[in-house]
Amino acid sequence: MTKKYDAIIIGAGVIGAPIAYELSKMGYKTMSVDKLPDAGEGSTAGSCAIVRAHYSTEDGVAFAYEGFKYWLDWENYLDHVKDEKGLAKFMNTGSLLIKSQGHKWQNVKKHYDAVGVQYKELTNEEILEMIPVLDLHEFWPVKRPEDPAFWEDPTKMLEGGLFCPEGGYVNDPALSAHNIMRAAEAKGATFMFNAEVVNIRAAEGKVQGITLADGTEIDAPVVVNCAGPHSFKVNQMAPGVWEGCNIKTKALRHEVMYCPAPEDYDYLNKGYHQSDGDIGCYVRPEVGNMYLIGSEDPECDPQEWVDPDEFYAGKGGHGRDNQLSEEQWKAQCYRLGRRVPTLQVPNQPKGVVDLYDCSDDWIPVYDKSDLGGFYMAVGTSGNQYKNAPVVGRMMAELIDACEKGLDHDKEPFQYKMKYTGRTLDVGFFSRKREINYNSSFSVNG
Amino acid sequence: MNIYVCVKHVPDSAATITVEGDNAINEKITWLMNPYDEHALTEAARIKAAGKAVEIVAVCLGKPAAENTLRSAMAMGADRSILIETDQYHDSIITARALAAAIRKDGTPWIIFTGKESIDSEGMQTQFRLAQHLGLPVATNVIKINADSGGVTVECEREAGTIDVYRMAAPCVVGAGKGLNNPNYPTFPDIVRSRKKPVKRIDLAEQAIDRPAAGMQIRELVPAVEQRTPKALAGSAADIAAQIVDILKNEAKVI
Repeated sequence: MTKKYDAIIIGAGVIGAPIAYELSKMGYKTMSVDKLPDAGEGSTAGSCAIVRAHYSTEDGVAFAYEGFKYWLDWENYLDHVKDEKGLAKFMNTGSLLIKSQGHKWQNVKKHYDAVGVQYKELTNEEILEMIPVLDLHEFWPVKRPEDPAFWEDPTKMLEGGLFCPEGGYVNDPALSAHNIMRAAEAKGATFMFNAEVVNIRAAEGKVQGITLADGTEIDAPVVVNCAGPHSFKVNQMAPGVWEGCNIKTKALRHEVMYCPAPEDYDYLNKGYHQSDGDIGCYVRPEVGNMYLIGSEDPECDPQEWVDPDEFYAGKGGHGRDNQLSEEQWKAQCYRLGRRVPTLQVPNQPKGVVDLYDCSDDWIPVYDKSDLGGFYMAVGTSGNQYKNAPVVGRMMAELIDACEKGLDHDKEPFQYKMKYTGRTLDVGFFSRKREINYNSSFSVNG
Repeated sequence: MNIYVCVKHVPDSAATITVEGDNAINEKITWLMNPYDEHALTEAARIKAAGKAVEIVAVCLGKPAAENTLRSAMAMGADRSILIETDQYHDSIITARALAAAIRKDGTPWIIFTGKESIDSEGMQTQFRLAQHLGLPVATNVIKINADSGGVTVECEREAGTIDVYRMAAPCVVGAGKGLNNPNYPTFPDIVRSRKKPVKRIDLAEQAIDRPAAGMQIRELVPAVEQRTPKALAGSAADIAAQIVDILKNEAKVI
């Protein structure tokens, strides 16, 4: 027997779960399906879960800052739901953006002022008081250790940074998605796991429902693609959807390293999240007094676009599969080693390799589609974790408005943010947009 | 009064190993220094820092790519290194003869370190064969070492809870165990310094090595497939605890 719902959400990661939550709160009977065994087990689990406000556009900054308020008020957001696994914790370390040629920090500062983000401008001396292990020489441009220029001595100094005290990271990103799932279930949402979508059924220009690998058919007038790195495959299953997108998504392989902090530096308890475009890295503390070292995708680094199914199956070979590569281990650890000269780099790579669901301009697509009732929250490009609860609310309102007759392509939906009070033109995230050249074209967004 | 540290270039224990043909693996994976050799280097550097040795020399028999492991060794404290180049896998018989020949030719050893085993072949033989070739005393799985002008006192871990203490005359061979120290990994400045340190390449074929009467070859490599048969235990917490005890006692026989 075919099961019927008001809305099907494909993907129970940190983007899909809040959409299910918000739609349920609005009275929709939702069914979330995910091919993995539990919420947040996919690329959400591999997220660094950074919560920062610096983005290259003012709307990007406002959106992220709105998200801060959800993380700072997590239990309230979840309506005090109980999760047998416990609650994810927002580690409010503060977030330091190093002023460098690798970031358009002048724009960030302007956007901070426009949005009202709390921040403090720091000199090098003030940064060193906070983080005594740093060497604040300028190493720009970002290079790879294979390049002889990587090893040259620096001559210039950096010019300080912007410190945002409300930033930080979430200690367990998979758990945060699980928390939202429990909150959604408390509002009536249903989640189905080990459920892989193989077909999106449609008739007369309207979506009808989905078919799972085991043949199960689930019907709903609304289907939302939150499939993360599989988003392009799901869009391709829905008639006319892929073709109707001017901005497309694909899966980008990404390595994050764990390197122990220097023994005399309590990075876990006293450290900050730090974005350092000068060395093309961002870092945050991890359990075991580790530096978690992410890459800001500098131009000199290879970009490996992969098939998500092959990647997760460990196929594709060196530098394309789900194994850390020695070259990238050295690149990211040595870059941080320049900034933290007492950092000791083990011989064995340790870290996480996962995928970004990356859009053409590294700005997500939060939109309807050319197929009636089919929506997408895709192309999150490694930089939308922090925004996820806001995305949930915005997508739910967008879906509700469109289902009630709004022509979002002609008259873009205007989303009023609850905490900052700003109105966001959701058309900014349109699938029909031209490539946004204000973007950083990186994880910085 | 040199310290020689014999190091091996091995596949990363976290790598996914795929067998190619009958007796080879796909080598496009991460390779690094055998982890036990990291303890050996750390100890060698500690002894040198105490003013007791002149030079630390890392020695490796391997393919040209093994230079990476020698670079790691020099970043961890070796002053220079010797790569005995070959294009194929060798057993511990040839390995020990090659290392002995290279060390004998290079200088006067005081302590020769190896790891207690390599994580790829796990033969645990090279240190003994090396000592035999050089006519030196040897101790393995060493977790504590005290070197003085007269010789070397070592503590070796045998089975759990048993420690042997040996006094060896120098020169001697020491197989480093995991309990010896925490590896002292290099900082960026260490790595920069190591780039200027020399690697001497010698060809295995040109070494004066006696052909052994016996040898070991890998005839076939077969992937080890772990059989996992998970079983869910049901009942109250007390029931489950009782079932776990029963399994540990009667099935696994570990308690």
